[in-house]
This record gives sequence, C-alpha cells and structure tokens, in this order.
Amino acid sequence: MIPDSKDSSVKLDSTGRVPKGVYSTLYLRFVALTLLCSIVPLILVGWGIYRYYSRFGYSRMVEDFQTQVESHRKIVELFLKERVSTLRILSQSHSVEHLSRKENLDAIFEISQREGSYFTDLGVLNDRGRHLSYVGPYDLMGNDYSGTFWFKEVMEKGVYISDMFLGFRKVPHFIIVVARTEGDRKWLLRATIYNEFLSALFGNVRIGQTGEVFLLNREGIYQTTPRLGGLLMGQASLPMDLFREESGVQVLGGSALGEEDASPRLVVAYSWMKEPPWMLVVRQDYAEAFRDVNHANLASLLFLFLSALAILVVSLITTGHMIKVIRKRDLEADQLNKQLYQACKLASVGELASGVAHEINNPLAIILTEAQVVRDLEEDTPNLDPEFKSQLDESLDQVETQVQRCNLITQNLLRFSRRTKSLIEMVDLNKFLQEVVDLMHKKAQTSGIRFSRNFEEGLPPLQSDPSQLQQVFLNLINNAIDAHDGKPYGTVRISTRTDEKGKGVEIRVADTGSGIARENLDKIFDPFFTTKPVGKGTGLGLSISYGIIQRLGGHISVESELGKGTEFILFLPFRLPESVREGLKGAGTGGGANE
Amino acid sequence: MSKAKILLVDDEVTFANNMSRLLAKRGYEVSVVHGGEDALRKVENEEYDVVILDLKMPGMDGLDTLKVLKKRKPFIEVIILTGHGSVDSAVDGMHLGAFDYVTKPVYVEDLNEKIRQAHQRKMMQESKGADGTDVRSHTRFVDR
Repeated sequence: MIPDSKDSSVKLDSTGRVPKGVYSTLYLRFVALTLLCSIVPLILVGWGIYRYYSRFGYSRMVEDFQTQVESHRKIVELFLKERVSTLRILSQSHSVEHLSRKENLDAIFEISQREGSYFTDLGVLNDRGRHLSYVGPYDLMGNDYSGTFWFKEVMEKGVYISDMFLGFRKVPHFIIVVARTEGDRKWLLRATIYNEFLSALFGNVRIGQTGEVFLLNREGIYQTTPRLGGLLMGQASLPMDLFREESGVQVLGGSALGEEDASPRLVVAYSWMKEPPWMLVVRQDYAEAFRDVNHANLASLLFLFLSALAILVVSLITTGHMIKVIRKRDLEADQLNKQLYQACKLASVGELASGVAHEINNPLAIILTEAQVVRDLEEDTPNLDPEFKSQLDESLDQVETQVQRCNLITQNLLRFSRRTKSLIEMVDLNKFLQEVVDLMHKKAQTSGIRFSRNFEEGLPPLQSDPSQLQQVFLNLINNAIDAHDGKPYGTVRISTRTDEKGKGVEIRVADTGSGIARENLDKIFDPFFTTKPVGKGTGLGLSISYGIIQRLGGHISVESELGKGTEFILFLPFRLPESVREGLKGAGTGGGANE
Repeated sequence: MSKAKILLVDDEVTFANNMSRLLAKRGYEVSVVHGGEDALRKVENEEYDVVILDLKMPGMDGLDTLKVLKKRKPFIEVIILTGHGSVDSAVDGMHLGAFDYVTKPVYVEDLNEKIRQAHQRKMMQESKGADGTDVRSHTRFVDR
C-alpha cells in the first residue's frame, strides 16, 4: 500500500527533499507558541502578585507607623497627665495660705523632687498674676504675669500647658499651671519642667538609621530635641498644612520639601494631641522605611524576569530538540516511503510482466506456425529461384530466431514475477558453489576467464533452496564473465566465510571486468536495467537474483570501480527466519527448470 | 504403424488452423474443435488416437475437459498445450493422466515426436488391455 501523500506533514519539493526553510519555520512557530502560552500567564500572575503584595507591604508599613505614632503620643499624654495630676493634687490638698509660706512650699517641693516629679520649680500665684511664693532657680517673685496669654488661659480653663520656650536663662522648658478656686479666691500653682525630661521620652528612640520621634507645636517648632538634624525650638522643615487630620501617615515627595525631585523622600506619621496642641511625629526616610518592601518587590520582579528568561531558554532548547526528532522521523518515513515505493513498483512491474508474457505467447505461437507453414510450402515447391529460396530461408530463420528471443524474454519476465514455491534443503555451500562453477566452466574457458576460489574450511550447511540459489549464482557468474567483454583474460574470484556475527555466510563474487559506473550502482538491481548492448541482456537477471536472496532471508549488495572490477557481496543466514519459512512451503521446483 | 488420428482442441482459430495444416502435412488426420465441450462430443462420435488439448480456453477449462476425457475414453492419449505461465497446471495435467505437454510457441517437430510416442503408447496399452493386464498402470493418477 503506497502511503497517502496527504499523511505527510512536510511537503517535498521537486527533488523529493524537504525544502530548507520548512524546519526553521516550524521551529519558530513552536517557540512562539510555547512562549505565548507560558510567558503570558506568567506575566499576568506575576504582575498580579506583585501588585497585591506591593500594596500589602505598603499598607502594613503604614499601619506600623500609625501604631508607633499612636503609642508615642500616648506616652507623652500620660507623662503630661501625670504632671498635671501631681500639681492638681498639690493644689487641692494644700491651702493657698499654707503654700504661700516659702518654707512650706520648699518642703513640698523637696518631697516632689524626691518622688520624681520632674519639676524644676514651683510657684504659687494669686489671681492678679503675681507670685505669692516661689521655689526654684529663677527669680520670679517680682514678675507680673497678668497680661500673659497663659494667665488668661489658666484662669479661664483651669489648666494650662505651654509650648517650649527659652525664657530668661535661655534654657528650654515649659510650664504647667493649674488653678484652684478656694472659697471665693482663685489661685494658681505653676511648675516648670525642663525640656530634657520630655525629650528623653523618645530622644533615644531609633527607627532604623533615619527614623526619629519628636514633638512639634502648631507652627512646626520642635518641642523636643530631634535626634537627627534640626534644633530644639527650631523650625521643622515640614509643611504643616499637610497635617490637618487628627492623625495620619503622609509620604512626602521632594516637591513638598521644596526640592526639584518629586520622588518620595520622607514618611511622616503624625498624631495631634489636644492639650497642649502638639503634634507627635514619627519620621523616617522613605527609602529606608520601605526598603524591605521595595526589595521584596524588586526581588519578585527579578524572579519574574528570570522565570521568563528560563522559559525562553528551555523552550528554545526543547523545541530545537523536538524539531531534530521530527526531522529524523521525517527522514526515516521518507526512507520507508522510498522502499515501499520501490517494492510496489517491483510488484506492479511483476504483475504487468506476467500479464504481458501470457498474452504474447499466443501471437508468438501463431507467428511460428506461419513460418513453419511457409517452410512446408517451400519444401513442396520445386524449382524455386535460388536467390529467392536463400532469402526465404534466411528470413524464415530470422523469424524463428526472433520468436525464440521473445520466448526467452517472456520466460524471464514470468520468472521475475512469479511467487515461487521453494524447496528448502540443507545446502553445503562450498560444494554447491563448486558445482555451479563447473557448470560455467566451458563458457569461462571460451572467454579466457579463470576461477579463483577462497572457500572457508568446514563451513556449516545452510537452509535454502538450491535451485533458486543456482539461478542466482549462475546469473552472477554469467555477468562476471560478460563483464570482461573485450578483455582477453580475467579472473572471477568466489569466496565464502562465516559472517562476523556468526549468523550466516558471506559470499563474495568478484571480477576483474569493466566495473560499474557510480551513477548506475544504485540502479543495478532495478528490473530492465542493463548496460549490455541491445539484445544481449534483458536487465532482469540481477533483479530476479535480488528478489530470490531477499526471499531466502539474506541480502545482496555491490561494490564496483570503473575499469577495475565489480564485487557482489551476499549474505545468507544459516537458518531461515520464521517469516520466510512460513512463506516457503510446498513441493515443486519452481520456475528455474527451463534454462 | 498407421498415422495417428488427431483431435486438436484450441480456441485460437488461426493457430489451430495452421497447426492442423502442419500436422496434416506430416501425415496425420487432423480434426479441429475450439472448445472443451465440442471436444467431448467429437470423441463420442469418432475414434481418435491423440488429443492435443490447450489448457487456457473459455468455457470448459482444459483440465476439466481432460478429466472427463480420461474417464470416458481412457485409452486416448492427451498432449497438453500450455503457455509458460501455466507450467504448474501442465504438471497437474500430468497427474491427471496426460501423456506430456508442450509449451507455446510450439515447434512442430517437437510436437510431432511427442505425438508419435503418444500414439505408440496408446497402441501398446490397447494391446495389453485386450488381454486384461496392466490397463490400470498408465491410469494410475486418474481421479476415479
């Protein structure tokens, strides 16, 4: 069955080869497809994850800042609350007369110092803003505070906490004042607290390398000493109008800080206190704060990229390999196709040959009888013109000769196409070949050929059909002798030996004849191929021999060099393969009988 | 020995006519039919010594004709005509009791010789058959 050309995935060009570009196109297509199917999903998934975790990381950081700023605010509030509370207790638990006496105030002050009140001084003021008593490092007894903002505030609200200020001694501090209404009088208890105590609350808080905590007032003045850059009581370079909410986290770009570069520079978490209206700030460089998150993001992007790269490389390699496999398969299929085609060709030629031979026999027979009829007539006719008679005889001879020739051709044709039933015997090859050589002895002698034999001693017998084998070797030796046409002498060497694998016999028939041209070498076993002059050969001998050897489980090949000679190399197995034995059953000597 | 009376059975008209002419020239009395059934009818009506039978004929096949012929007229010797492709069937024919076979194209001298031999055997068989011995010997392969 000839395979359908639709089945092959690769179209062959006019020389029966695969056009060059086909495989590279296939390769590119496959690679593109693989990449599309793998990289696109990778990118989608990767991008999704990147975005999600990016946002996740970011919001976690923000939450973290939020928490920090809240907790620090609470610390400050607690601190202040305790101070106020202390003052309140003091003012509520002592009368103004008691505290107006300096020695009492001193005593109270000393106790409070001991108990860690953080007060630098204490002062009792009347409702006109003048000290009634004072204990502390300053000389405030003579001051009149009635006009100050804080006096008015505390008289109104009952408590006041000030911003930091430098005061007369240029030492940063703040005051807490509480008011008490005793009977019909209002009096104030005032204390000073050095800034250090407040700054110490978070002065040492380190957040990474660039993170710090500090307090700002409404105008953005540092109320605590900032750990990095900036001065206590100095102006913070933060745009206060950004911090309107009660609390929050802001990322400030360079533009917010008055720089040209708009990329994010600072993370500022803030939280406003009520009393006093201070803003607690946790500040860190954006780059540092989000360094880990950014690293993670970068890593995932890198991973994404590397994955894509790996996919690319792998798909290039595997596709390349696959194309190689496909190519090899195509080649093998091609080979098989060729063999199949050859076999089909032979089979159909065989059928054709057989048909022709049968049909031709009858006309040939008639031609022969016509010739014979004329011969009879010739015999019966006396007084024929001698020239006429001789021409007649010649022509009749020719007719008979040519009929005979046609006969030979049809014989060969039928032998070629016949599925012969072979007779299997054990054949002693050396003896057998000797007999064949003897058969050809006469012809060889006439042509000046001598035989040279190189038979392996003790060659075991092999399973084969002697009559078919005889046909083959007669054919080969005949050809060998004929190859010396024009040469006065030559040698035909026949050798036998066990083949390398020990499975059968290798037989070589070599001659010193004219050799076969390279371009004819692979046609030599084709039916009807002959290099002999017209009329000398049918071109069927070798193809019949090829068929016989194949059917007997062996193979035959040829090597030749123009001008030097030719060698046929045959292999025949000791034991016929099962398939061959099955196919060759039954008696009957097959077609070789009529030579 | 008188010359044999021959029945030539072949569907190729030209060939049969020519062959009949050639055989007549060599002294045989030749009748020609072109099919198996005609042949069987002919041998019923007339005495023949040798039948020359072509195997490949339309209608009744050569071998079938041979079988029936051998049954009805066991003493008639048959020479089979065959083309090269049918050597196997020629051998079958031999098994069925044919005397010999010739392949086409036929050489008259070959055929002549075979006819002579066939006729000779027929006469020997007939004489043997008369005293009852050996009739079976040459019909050994005939299907009964």
